[in-house]
Amino acid sequence: MNNTAASPMSTATSSSGRSTGKSVSFAAELQSMMFSLGDARRPLHETVVLVEDVVHTQLINLLQQAAEISQLRGARVISAEDLLFLMRKDKKKLRRLIKYLFIRDYKSKIVKGIDEDDLLEDKLSGSSNTNKRQKFAQDFLNSIDQTGELLAMFEDDEIDEVKQERMERAERQTRIMDSAQYAEFCESRQLSFSKKASKFRDWLDCSSMEIKPNVVAMEILAYLAYETVAQLVDLALLVRQDMVTKAGDPFSHAISATFIQYHNSAESTAACGVEAHSDAIQPCHIREAVRRYGRKIGPLSPFTSAYRRNGMAFLAC
Amino acid sequence: MDQNNSLPPYAQGLASPQGAMTPGIPIFSPMMPYGTGLTPQPIQNTSSLSILEEQQRQQQQQQQQQQHQLFHSQTLTTAPLPGATPLYPSPLTPMTPITPATPASESSGIVPQLQNIVSTVNLGCKLDLKTIALRARNAEYNPKRFAAVIMRIREPRTTALIFSSGKMVCTGAKSEEQSRLAARKYARVVQKLGFPAKFLDFKIQNMVGSCDVKFPIRLEGLVLTHQQFSSYEPELFPGLIYRMIKPRIVLLIFVSGKVVLTGAKVRAEIYEAFENIYPILKGFRKTT
Repeated sequence: MNNTAASPMSTATSSSGRSTGKSVSFAAELQSMMFSLGDARRPLHETVVLVEDVVHTQLINLLQQAAEISQLRGARVISAEDLLFLMRKDKKKLRRLIKYLFIRDYKSKIVKGIDEDDLLEDKLSGSSNTNKRQKFAQDFLNSIDQTGELLAMFEDDEIDEVKQERMERAERQTRIMDSAQYAEFCESRQLSFSKKASKFRDWLDCSSMEIKPNVVAMEILAYLAYETVAQLVDLALLVRQDMVTKAGDPFSHAISATFIQYHNSAESTAACGVEAHSDAIQPCHIREAVRRYGRKIGPLSPFTSAYRRNGMAFLAC
Repeated sequence: MDQNNSLPPYAQGLASPQGAMTPGIPIFSPMMPYGTGLTPQPIQNTSSLSILEEQQRQQQQQQQQQQHQLFHSQTLTTAPLPGATPLYPSPLTPMTPITPATPASESSGIVPQLQNIVSTVNLGCKLDLKTIALRARNAEYNPKRFAAVIMRIREPRTTALIFSSGKMVCTGAKSEEQSRLAARKYARVVQKLGFPAKFLDFKIQNMVGSCDVKFPIRLEGLVLTHQQFSSYEPELFPGLIYRMIKPRIVLLIFVSGKVVLTGAKVRAEIYEAFENIYPILKGFRKTT
């Protein structure tokens, strides 16, 4: 599973094939999505294009790895199990995914009970898909769980800190809005990749792949795409906050050279810091966030070659 | 066969402003029991008043008389009505820690409207679905798709699923009596087709109500402060899902101010749940 061409900054082979111009672009939706996740009222177009590129590349790579795992299993389609398997390393993100599946089941169960037509439809189709997704995930994790820690996640009721922070940020953001802005904010929050499933599928362009994902896997992929965007915005906001040199911060003199290089050298730090708070996220923030996320930190990191990447650092899993 | 006489006889003559069949039930707060001597009784007369609460309530009612034209208590005398609970002192119901903490404030003045009632009844005999489908009007039966006859009647406008075991599910009614009436009509249809149908164990399984608080609600704030009860994933569903523990009701709260309440077995649970949530929603009102 060696991905040598896996730098998110360079145009991956898949997207360079569309050098004539992407026929499917999520730029408009991404703009609203980033606003709802904490960015400014009108995110910059360059930032949106960069985010789209990053998410697209990561998803393609994720799909390819999932396809390889499918092949190992001898299956004909990429199913949710392959994606779950890829995510096994990061427990927090896995737990968030499982909670998402659970809420999805729960919501369809409730909404069914409200509308009598829905109730009849459900009875007619004869499917008992209450908790179907969650049950399925639980069964699969049971089968690959060696140490019992994956299954413990289902009972685990810890607070998800990342989610908590996002909720708090949204709350802060909405407190100062007026009704019209808030209505717009709510609409942006409702955007997701899963609502535009067919466009999402075209955007991913799985036609060149031999093994394709099935419906449940596409749902999970849409969720992972959204999570990637959310993670990027989280990290970029953190980076932007770091860029502001606060008075009394003992480490301001130790900001690395590569970091300042991305920063616009024409303006002074202070001036940029002031406007950075009210401005949108810049592409430099995104790039820095991805760079930091992908950097291996550990006892042997000075000795590993910087030129050989062992696989993409997936933001979503 | 009238096991649950749902309405006291005098109340049927009262017109309610929203055109519902039963009069609107006034003040419901977590401290309030279900009935007092001043108002028409709902079905369950389980709890009784403490004198302190009654005094408080009377004071509040006097303050709010001009606001709440819905409450028919003003037109009635203060003498206890037949079948009403007497004003005996009783221990205060303790506020359980799992109820969301609400200030003891005035009631909302908004009454949730019932939208759908699902009930089941046992006709007590095996049925031949093919015969029923062939001879009854407005019946559809597709054994390959689903193993029940779907029958509809126009008054009250409802749908029934009739199974060969004799069990029947009736949906779509807007009140308890309508649901019961509709179920009896279906039973009569089956009876007329020659089956010895009875009317056993009529039970309301689920009631759905909805109302509008008429102001926009900031859901992000609500989900943060009531985390253990609520979940809000706007990518999945535009409303916030609030799971109230006492009473056990699920509320769908939307930004526009519309609230849908579901999961109730009795009407009072819907009213109580709404009165519980109303002060909380007022706290997250989105002002311009």
